[in-house]
Amino acid sequence: MKDQDIDDILKKAAQAPQDLDPLVLERIGDSIKPSLRPVRPLPPVWLMAVGLVLVCAGVSLAGAARGGFFGVAKMNLLERSLVFPALGLLACLAAVGFVHQMIPASRLRVSPSALLALSSVSLLAVFAPLFRDYHTDHFFLAGIACLLIGLLHAIPAGLLSWLMLRRGFAVNPASAGLVAGTLGGLAGVGMLELHCPNFQAAHILVWHTAVVPVSAALGALLGWKLRFRARSNDH
Amino acid sequence: MVRYQQGDFAAATALIDRISPRLHRFFLAKSMSRADADDLLQETWLQIHKVRHTYRPGEPALPWFYAIARHIRVDHYRKSIRHAAGERELEEMSKGVSSAPNQASELEALLAPLSEGQREVIAMLKVEGMSLEEVARATSSSVGSVKQKVHRAYEKLRQTIGATGPRKWRSGGLA
Repeated sequence: MKDQDIDDILKKAAQAPQDLDPLVLERIGDSIKPSLRPVRPLPPVWLMAVGLVLVCAGVSLAGAARGGFFGVAKMNLLERSLVFPALGLLACLAAVGFVHQMIPASRLRVSPSALLALSSVSLLAVFAPLFRDYHTDHFFLAGIACLLIGLLHAIPAGLLSWLMLRRGFAVNPASAGLVAGTLGGLAGVGMLELHCPNFQAAHILVWHTAVVPVSAALGALLGWKLRFRARSNDH
Repeated sequence: MVRYQQGDFAAATALIDRISPRLHRFFLAKSMSRADADDLLQETWLQIHKVRHTYRPGEPALPWFYAIARHIRVDHYRKSIRHAAGERELEEMSKGVSSAPNQASELEALLAPLSEGQREVIAMLKVEGMSLEEVARATSSSVGSVKQKVHRAYEKLRQTIGATGPRKWRSGGLA
């Protein structure tokens, strides 16, 4: 049997009358009529993405200003010119991805999980050749402190991003949460790069980079929970 | 759609009349009872109304509608799974109603052997006539993934139709 034969059978089956009760249509019309007023469409994607990147940059800078810009002060020109543009570029990608997650049927160029993988691998690829101090002093103590500081900035950045796009509608809140978490995580890494003067390779590769996947996981979990909360509020 | 966003009730009514049968058929293609499909259709329109500002003029509207309908259906499915244990008796009753032979449409019967994802893609692509790109948008997946699902669905349909005899389906009757 050819594909064309199956197409014909499907078309024939679909043509069978599906009588939809006119009362149902009437009820739908009646239910939306009272609240039918003009709405303002969402602003362009680029504008929302720029807003998100600015929010994340603001959180990173505010955190570093409070803790001190020790990291960026210790970096040489090459390190500064590679680390921060890379973070900025990844933040732009994550911001655009997040905006697309909040618009139903938006064209997804990079899936949320691919975006997370790309962000983590790119950070490792930038950090690995730049930081060559292979000592591991206070690996866990200093590392966990940095991870927590990074997350303390990633969480507000992710939440502010979600708040900024609250007019959107995520058809998959868990995926949207994953992307918001990735974006927040990049803000957290940005804060750590500005602030943390510990340039040991293992410390940066493990603990700084870990902020992104941990934050993304928290975002996905929060999105998943929100879905059920929204659902129970509806009923 | 733009006029609906501007608060034009006539445009909203026209849109409801035009899109609802397609969405209703989309729900029915999921082996759902007519009553459930009616409820989900109403729920979908309430959601569409709530988030109508997220439609971007110039973009294809069908994937936007289907993405929201799909979200409602997935939520309904998950909710029914969560409550399955506590409401076993009720579910048995509704199963009895939805699987009654006189309620099953020909399309529903034809798509029954397919997985949820395959059924969804076939319903949008072959029944509603959406393009691969539109189906990919509505299901938040890639065109390649849609093509793969269609290919697998056709393999399964070929087996099913081959086993039951193509004449049965071509004649348009489910004896």
